[in-house]
Amino acid sequence: MKTPRPTQSHRCDGVSRRDFLHLGLLTSFGLSVTDLLRLQAAAAEAPGHSAKAKSCILIWLDGGPSHLDMFDLKPEAPSEVRSQFKAIPTSVTGLHICEHLPLTAGVMKDVALIRSLTHELGNHDTGTRFMLTGHRPTPALEHPSLGSLVAQTHGFGGAMPPYVAIPNDGVGGDSNAARAGYLPGACSAFNVGNDPSRVGGLQLPEGVSFARGEHRREMLRKMDAFSRHIEEGPPTRDRDAFYEQAYRLLASTEAKEAFDLSREKSETRERYGHARVGAGCLLARRLVEAGSRFVTVVDTGWDTHQQIFKELPDSRFPGSGKLPALDRAYSALITDLRERGLLDSTLVVLMGEFGRTPKLNALGGRDHWPRAGSVCLAGGGVKGGQVIGATNSFGEIPVERPVGPPDLAFTILKFLGVDPTRELTTPTGRPMKVMSEGSFIKELVGV
Amino acid sequence: MLVAGTAVSDATPPPFRTGILPVLTKAGCNAGACHGAATGQGGFKLSLLGYDPEEDFERITRELGSRRVEVAHPEESLVLRKPSGQLEHEGGRKLRRDSNGYALVRDWIAAGAPYGPRDLQVTGISVEPSDNLLHGTNLTKQLRVTASLSDSSRQDVTDLSLYTSNDDAIAEVSKTGEVTTVGRGLTSIMVRYSGQVAAARIAVPLGDAKIGMDDFPARNYIDEHVGRELSRLHVPASPLSDDAEFLRRVHLDVTGRLPTPEATRLFLAEPSSAQKRQRATDELLRSDAFVDFWTMKLADLLLLNGRGDTAAAYHAWLREQVATNAAFDRITRALLTSSGDLARVGSANFMTLASDPRDLSEHAGRIFLGAQIACARCHSHPSDRWTQEDYHRFAAYFARITREGGAVQISTRGEVDHPKTGKPLSPKPLGAPSRPQIGDVDRRVELAGWLTAPDNPLFTRTIVNRVWKHLLGRGLVEPVDDLRPTNPPTHPELLDALAADFVAHDFDLRQLIRTIVSSRTYQLTSRTRGVNRMDSRLYSHAYLKELPAPVFADAVAQVTGVPDLFEGCPEGTRAVQLISPATPSPALDVLGRCLRKRPCDGSAQTGGGLAEALHLINGSTINGKLRGGVIEELKGRSSREIVEELYRRVLTRPPAQDELAEWEPLLASGPDRTEAVQDLLWTLLNSREFALNH
Repeated sequence: MKTPRPTQSHRCDGVSRRDFLHLGLLTSFGLSVTDLLRLQAAAAEAPGHSAKAKSCILIWLDGGPSHLDMFDLKPEAPSEVRSQFKAIPTSVTGLHICEHLPLTAGVMKDVALIRSLTHELGNHDTGTRFMLTGHRPTPALEHPSLGSLVAQTHGFGGAMPPYVAIPNDGVGGDSNAARAGYLPGACSAFNVGNDPSRVGGLQLPEGVSFARGEHRREMLRKMDAFSRHIEEGPPTRDRDAFYEQAYRLLASTEAKEAFDLSREKSETRERYGHARVGAGCLLARRLVEAGSRFVTVVDTGWDTHQQIFKELPDSRFPGSGKLPALDRAYSALITDLRERGLLDSTLVVLMGEFGRTPKLNALGGRDHWPRAGSVCLAGGGVKGGQVIGATNSFGEIPVERPVGPPDLAFTILKFLGVDPTRELTTPTGRPMKVMSEGSFIKELVGV
Repeated sequence: MLVAGTAVSDATPPPFRTGILPVLTKAGCNAGACHGAATGQGGFKLSLLGYDPEEDFERITRELGSRRVEVAHPEESLVLRKPSGQLEHEGGRKLRRDSNGYALVRDWIAAGAPYGPRDLQVTGISVEPSDNLLHGTNLTKQLRVTASLSDSSRQDVTDLSLYTSNDDAIAEVSKTGEVTTVGRGLTSIMVRYSGQVAAARIAVPLGDAKIGMDDFPARNYIDEHVGRELSRLHVPASPLSDDAEFLRRVHLDVTGRLPTPEATRLFLAEPSSAQKRQRATDELLRSDAFVDFWTMKLADLLLLNGRGDTAAAYHAWLREQVATNAAFDRITRALLTSSGDLARVGSANFMTLASDPRDLSEHAGRIFLGAQIACARCHSHPSDRWTQEDYHRFAAYFARITREGGAVQISTRGEVDHPKTGKPLSPKPLGAPSRPQIGDVDRRVELAGWLTAPDNPLFTRTIVNRVWKHLLGRGLVEPVDDLRPTNPPTHPELLDALAADFVAHDFDLRQLIRTIVSSRTYQLTSRTRGVNRMDSRLYSHAYLKELPAPVFADAVAQVTGVPDLFEGCPEGTRAVQLISPATPSPALDVLGRCLRKRPCDGSAQTGGGLAEALHLINGSTINGKLRGGVIEELKGRSSREIVEELYRRVLTRPPAQDELAEWEPLLASGPDRTEAVQDLLWTLLNSREFALNH
């Protein structure tokens, strides 16, 4: 942040309490017509919380993972519904999952499996936004993604960016996973680019020493003070906040190293697998270890409209083999976090925008089915080894304990110490509750 | 004549469609979150906001063995007992027993629950006063809504209309249509009744004192409209920009390029005058850079995202249109009616944007009419007047096209069916009567004729509104692809005037830009003045605009004198000239670009944020260009000359005294002069002043 401010702020939106009071004063004579109120969103102090989870890793299965072929198999159902995959036992007595998730089966004792996710938005875009914000999307107001809310509440963990997105083919850095909605742009995710093994911009350019880099930074601070005639507004404020974040990150060797996968032993990389989702999960672990609060790992390719039984397990199909890659990455992440003593403080969420149609289509695939789906939660204080909710015999609708995206969002936020009942302010000055509906899924903590 | 909202036992009971359904809508029964949901609620489904009266009538009177209405004992009807809270109702109490609405429904049931005349419907609504100026907060104003019916009668429907404030930080509205001001500025209240929509504008002056407009003399009609609003809302206008600010802005806006140092020197040397600015503008409008830049803008708008021969043909065709200043209605007609080999007939590529006629009609509606019609695919548009039938009949224009073997061809077969009846629909324009069908000819010709007609208000307005947004930083209607009666412009008369002017000048894009750029409004400084700091929609000062990624990348290449190289493109190709948005460029990815997969309307679909800041600080876009080029060129010049030259190139202005005093010694005294010059150039390129069009 290059404009001198009365207080140094460590929040992603650059708002201190003092700024807030100042803005509150302005509001009374009509700031509502400007976008300046974006600032106000964060000013209320984060509530004290006893949440165990400090961080969250969200593995986003983009396209909509098939509940019927992964975590909610229906071996008794007729062939037009039944998965061709076998159900195998897991480390939890009585719980069976897909045969192509054998390593995951071993960690299910740490996992709470929700089989009764349900909503009504069957388009990728709307379904994704509903799941990732907990609000039904409306054109009138864009709600912030969960990661942005966490970033906005907790701000920087030292030099680490609070919210990081590890995208895949541009997905996740773009429209869905990372947006800050009505919160300031600075609460959006740091998009590390397509290759988790090579995060750009963290090293000084060739021929530029640390001292010279610092000198440039000082020159830049002076330069921006010279062009004070460029008015303060959302574009300048967001930009200033990003530059401050960038310099904070660059100043810390530890933080920069967190982004460097080459520092991992080859056995560890092997354990997570060499698929992008594996590298993404490993990078996510490094980032939360270093202090990031919310890391989204996007895995694309789950929109299996055809040949589902060939594409999902078999990596010989181009762009497929989703199950073995995920199995490796997910189980390695849970195990690794446990071994490092990080599982209790890290909530790991595995989900996509919706489930898939119980009836197989003519192409041997399954289409979009928002009315039923599965979600896995582990770590961060979640009581593992349990199944919450159930679908009917064809996996069409929940028959027990339906869970909607607002419930899930409410719960994830609460786990991470964000008060879902808190009120924020939109850029137009409209008071807006973090969550307008939804309730805590008590079973997750064993109640 | 009926007076809704009063429960009089009349000889003729109120008709279901125009008398009863609005009561249920008003009570919220058929809202999206209640029985209006696609799957209904609690086993009872109604059409969203009552768009399908006949089906709703069936559901209410025939389903569930008629327990929903019991003619013999009206008050025992579920349709009354549930919402009035006498029976458990998940939605809570929606219709109090002592309300007029309750009485209306009860009396209607008592009269046998008739549907009433089948063809009687509401044809329009009007709201009064439509324009409200309220001097301060906490003031109230009662709106009145009148419905016009198909039997030529009119009725007051104030109590039965739905009201929504478009900005409830400025004005709130009660269920009965009473507006209360809570903040200052400009907004509107959306009013809905029986599938019809209207809006009332609400203005609350920003400043307390009236201000004179003597320092805002109009240069053309634009300023008259803008000045009137500023005066009405007590907002002072900022002064004119100085020449340097104007020159930089007009170059970036009109050509996406920065002025050359020579152009800057010459322009700033000449005394300031409106004529000088006009001359500079006209030169830009004649330049090749204009053609490149507006070709890109068109390609963004049209989502040109192909590759290879077909994309090249499409791009070349667009460039030709801009270069020859083809009239915008002609360009549009060509896009809507072309057929042939996609690699040869560039304009035919528009038809490949989607293969489903409904998808293509949504694109066409958004691009050329600024209309978001997608809602009406499944149900009547909740905030516009489009019905499902309107939607599908509009889509039917695109039903008879084939796209096989790399060519677009007209077919004699292909239909869009009504989703309910399954019957094929004949094409019909949006919001206009059907046109006579002329045999088996290309349906699209009729569409293009209607769409681009000078009297089609949506077509001209959506084009001028987009150009206005590009130049002024905010559309008269926002979002620019959502023109509807319930989302009124900030300056309705100005939008009308711009549209009329556009038609009068034969849909001439350059003339439109020229007119806007000539106005005082466009030429104001971005520095604020007093209370106008609070303004973000009255154009009291120039609004800051971020440089789009391709413009930013080109500007860095231009001022450093080190061009970019793009894979598969001839040397010297600039970012704005790229044909495919998938042309590999990690720099453009991180700076943010429009991928043209979905509408961008100026905002990028990739990049930005922390990743961009890191890239600008350490990445190759800037650091890779600090050798050779301008650094080499300036070797041997004095420190002062170097500072002045870099400022002129990068910021289009001379350095101020304090800036010179800071940088000159730095260049003169440093151990390594080249490094010092590199650092200054790096600094200028990372500055917020460079990153913004101000």
